[in-house]
Amino acid sequence: MSAEIRAATDVGGTFTDLVYFSVDPETGAQRIVTAKTDTTPPDFERGVLNVIAKSGAPVDEIAFLAHGTTVVINALTERKGVKTGLITTEGFRDSLEIARGNRPDYFNLHYVKPAPFVPRHLRREVPGRIAHHGGERAPLDLRGLPKILDDFRAEGVEAVAICLLHSYANPNHERAVLDKVTELWPEAAAVASHQITREWREYERTSTAVLSAYVQPVAERYLGRLADGVRGGGFGGQLYIMQSNCGVDSVDRTKEIPITMVESGPASGFWGAAELGRLLGDPNVLALDIGGTTAKCSLIEGGHVKIISDYWIERSRRSAGYPIQVPVVDLVEIGNGGGSIAWVDDFGKLHVGPQSAGAQPGPAAYGRGGTEPTTTDANLALGRINRDYFAGGEIDADMDAVDRALGELADKLGVDRADAARGIVRIANNNMINALKLISLNRGYDPRDFTLVAFGGGGGMHAVALAAELGIRKVVIPRAADVFSAWGMLMSDLRRDYFVTRLFGLNAGNAERLDGLIDEVTETAAAQFRREGIERDRIRFLRYGNLRYENQEHGVEVPLRDGATVDEITEAFHDAYEREYTYRLEAPVEFVGVHLVAIAEVGKLTPVPLAPTGRTLDDAVKGRRAVDYATEGVHDADVYDGDLLEPGMAFEGPAVVETKGSTTVVHPENAVTVDDYGNLVIEL
Amino acid sequence: MTTTAADQITLEIIQNSLQAISDEMFAAFRKTAMSAIIYEVLDMGTAITDGEGNLASSGAGIPAFVGVLDKAVKRVIELNRDDIRPGDIFATNDPFYGGVTHLNDVVLAMPVFAEGRLVAWTANIAHWNDVGGMVPGSISNEAKEIYQEGLRLPGVKLVAGGEPIKSVMEIIKVNSRLPDFLQGDMWAGIAAARVGERRILELVAKYGLETFVTALDLFMEYGEEVARHALAGLPKGTFTLEEEQDSGAVYKVTVEITDDEFVVDLRDNPDQDKGPNNASRDGSLVAAQMVFMNITDAHSSANEGHFRPLRLLTRPGSVFDPNPGAAFAVYYEVEIRLYDLIWRCLAPHLGDRLPAGSFGSICGTFIGGPHPDTGRHFTIVEPQVGGWGGSRERDGNSAMFSGFHGDTFNCPAEVAETRYGLYVDRLALNDAPGGEGEHRGGKGIVLEYRVRSNGCFFTCAYTRNKHTPWALEGGREGSPNYAEVIRADGSVKEYAVVTALDVNEGDVIRIHTGHGGGYGDPKRRAHNLVDDDLRNGFTTEEQARSVYGYG
Repeated sequence: MSAEIRAATDVGGTFTDLVYFSVDPETGAQRIVTAKTDTTPPDFERGVLNVIAKSGAPVDEIAFLAHGTTVVINALTERKGVKTGLITTEGFRDSLEIARGNRPDYFNLHYVKPAPFVPRHLRREVPGRIAHHGGERAPLDLRGLPKILDDFRAEGVEAVAICLLHSYANPNHERAVLDKVTELWPEAAAVASHQITREWREYERTSTAVLSAYVQPVAERYLGRLADGVRGGGFGGQLYIMQSNCGVDSVDRTKEIPITMVESGPASGFWGAAELGRLLGDPNVLALDIGGTTAKCSLIEGGHVKIISDYWIERSRRSAGYPIQVPVVDLVEIGNGGGSIAWVDDFGKLHVGPQSAGAQPGPAAYGRGGTEPTTTDANLALGRINRDYFAGGEIDADMDAVDRALGELADKLGVDRADAARGIVRIANNNMINALKLISLNRGYDPRDFTLVAFGGGGGMHAVALAAELGIRKVVIPRAADVFSAWGMLMSDLRRDYFVTRLFGLNAGNAERLDGLIDEVTETAAAQFRREGIERDRIRFLRYGNLRYENQEHGVEVPLRDGATVDEITEAFHDAYEREYTYRLEAPVEFVGVHLVAIAEVGKLTPVPLAPTGRTLDDAVKGRRAVDYATEGVHDADVYDGDLLEPGMAFEGPAVVETKGSTTVVHPENAVTVDDYGNLVIEL
Repeated sequence: MTTTAADQITLEIIQNSLQAISDEMFAAFRKTAMSAIIYEVLDMGTAITDGEGNLASSGAGIPAFVGVLDKAVKRVIELNRDDIRPGDIFATNDPFYGGVTHLNDVVLAMPVFAEGRLVAWTANIAHWNDVGGMVPGSISNEAKEIYQEGLRLPGVKLVAGGEPIKSVMEIIKVNSRLPDFLQGDMWAGIAAARVGERRILELVAKYGLETFVTALDLFMEYGEEVARHALAGLPKGTFTLEEEQDSGAVYKVTVEITDDEFVVDLRDNPDQDKGPNNASRDGSLVAAQMVFMNITDAHSSANEGHFRPLRLLTRPGSVFDPNPGAAFAVYYEVEIRLYDLIWRCLAPHLGDRLPAGSFGSICGTFIGGPHPDTGRHFTIVEPQVGGWGGSRERDGNSAMFSGFHGDTFNCPAEVAETRYGLYVDRLALNDAPGGEGEHRGGKGIVLEYRVRSNGCFFTCAYTRNKHTPWALEGGREGSPNYAEVIRADGSVKEYAVVTALDVNEGDVIRIHTGHGGGYGDPKRRAHNLVDDDLRNGFTTEEQARSVYGYG
């Protein structure tokens, strides 16, 4: 019997990554292989087949293939979805354009409000009203629908979004519209808001339905070609698609609501960090993913990744952005990655990001015409990145270009090049520290209680400096840090998150109501799994309540343990509230909604320790070079080949660990050990 | 050289951290507040000042509150000079005691001591739903003196050395018609101030007291430098405008821009209003500061240094600098009128730095009464969104809050129907004519509330009703702000200003907000844009022909 192979592929803007584990059925020994190839738009499935081929994995022996992709987020940000029509409740077609009226860039009188994805003439209304308690206030009238759809056809619409008032409380009207649209126009993609979200706020739900419809044909085509492509290539196993909630889901289910893939890349990385934490006995993790253009971070407490449905794209201090009410891992993202450009303002102040040099022209060191210094260029100039092994030796670092770019910046600052480079690294670090504080200190968590797990191409470069600043004692750089998102997918379960708004006072009189709601949502989830052949005994349920003091708006999520009484839930709320906000009130508590997580294992992998080969630490030493630590001076650092390190090895900083895809900078006096799984564990 | 560079970076890190702290206080306040006017409308602000009350950084939210808190802190220092200790929190809401706006806006200010020295203050301001006074919600168009507008908090201690002063808290609570909301909002403010104090102390511990103080000083110098740099690029001269208001009063402004000063002269203005239509001198200064921010550096965070080139001249006893005793409830419409006046005065002279006039009113809307589902009292206190003016580059934005607001959110119909027990029958862009131009004004809205219970009230005070939003370069004026009350019997009456009008089950309150003013001759509007407007119902065939000269 041949080895069982589980593989994950992650399609990013530049690279398509692969990680596969082959498990020997006799011994249980695992072999881990990683590979990276160029992404191949618009035929992304070709890149997936290429990377499988490059890795040497026999396609026909892959039993489980997980897939993550940026296709949805790219279709949104590049406006490459389809022409979409919208159907709303009478009186509310402009909700999408009115939005919430907010203007984060408030001193700017030339602020431009984000344009709606559907223009007004393609936003149509149907009479009929559901009331806030879910009862019918006025019957639905579909007599105008055929004409609306005729107009849509004539306008070249390809997808129809439907969002009616209070459909979170009662989706019957919405469902009736959807059925009629599907019946009258089966070729069009159609989605109703209740299929995606059962939470209130009509603008957010409308936006969610619209953005989902907008990408649906694109995503369907993509998923169809992917599935056909890998099957045509000989793949006969199960194909799963990574979701934004840290779980995977089937291709068919994902095709129905592809918007749930929107943050699949970061989600799998954070899930990987949570799984790694569990594996290493560190359930409290600050996870940090530093890529080329952004850094993202998320807090994991007790192995629990927080999933929220208050997610927006293109939102910043400059723009209101667009809401998508789908379950997404709770993350903070800042425009600060390896390619972020350093610049000096009119007043001689140094900034890093959020503009990025991207892949073209890329950092000055790429030698492709980039003239502005980036964080990567500063790291090269300081010897933190190996100029003779840049991008795993695939690019000759153009150090003249780096010097020119840094020289110009240094002149503006009135300092020398080395100071300019140190300044860039310190500012970049500070930007990331503020992001890490946002997810920890600002929410009542002390970062010193957490292990920092850093990954992505730049994770190891900055992690130790950030940890030192935040008082964190332990940093873990995962093996395969540069393809860690793909690794995380292999650890994922089939997971679905259900958020349902249902408002009532949390008191003994409503205990039955609460139980009824939980049963109802649980039943919905179980039925959905059952349709896909997964019986209830294979599903694990986690339940949370969103609670608040009466009259408040923002809630706090607390676990609803099986059999917990109303009093216990209330007390758990008071505690959680006080931790987050420093005080508690003697005020009535209100139940706002339930968050149910349904999980079924579908071939998730459990890593086993790596077998040692007998190499010694000396075998892994590549040499020694001077490294500028920005705040801790210049030190001669030992340079290790990360691919040759193995479990049990230990060394001290100053040191640098290099692999093809990433560099880890170990500061003086750090103690490094290589754990059983090949991860670098750095004690500060 | 090396140390200088390192120090610069350290200073910048401290300055960035101050911004992060202001934002953190803001987020904490917002998440814990009990009133929609705070957590959704974001009628609130947070700030950090230096030890003397000079603004160092301010949180997100609402620009009209950015310049308020420093003034409050300075007055609190004056009033309590020898009695300011660690752990204290002071409260003020009275324009004669540092309150700046009106009695509903309560400021909480907390001194931050490091190594025995007062190095900073954290402060926040928020609109409390009801602080007593002659009407529910405390805001009446009928008030003649401040004593009718609620409880006055003259910059006194609410918390002493970390211990809440129960007697003061009880007095405040008993004076409110909504004590539960008040208590929740008060604790939200206290918690936010304390979070800020803790974070500042961490910063000082990390970088040292002297470095921290230096960072604040230099940050303000940087703010001044940014402002002077922008000032240098502005056309110089003296510009004057007088404008009649809906009330019949004529407001007048003269702005003098020189190489090193930006002087706003408001001395030649009417005597203070006998009703609540007054703005305190500090409030008038805030309006001037906002315009100054708009035309100098729209993106950087405002601090005391940025406002150094700005000078305001007022006449005591006038509407923009009233004497004690004056009422202030509707200060916000006075201030936004002043803001709009300065903006309008400068717009034709500053190249294209300023777009045409917007709907330009807070459109403060107050509806209250018994909730039909629960029987509990509900109160809506909300501003409205409306249209913004066109500019040389583009059409104005539709359905945005006024220039006094910022990251302010409207209330979703689904939430309003549940929370307030009204039906929201319609929320749509306004299809009335107005605001046409080469680049047209953005659209206002039409919002319909259907009242579901008897014994409710409706109050509003909208401006830009008679005198509609102004245009630029040959564009057309925008459309008016007003509310219609459609009685269950079908009769209709229009209002712009009304106090505590009885409304009952089946009555509909239909709010119309205006389009912004147009920019440029409508005849020059690109035909493809007129096509779009026709297709989208933003103009009619008739208007396209007669106004845009189309077809």
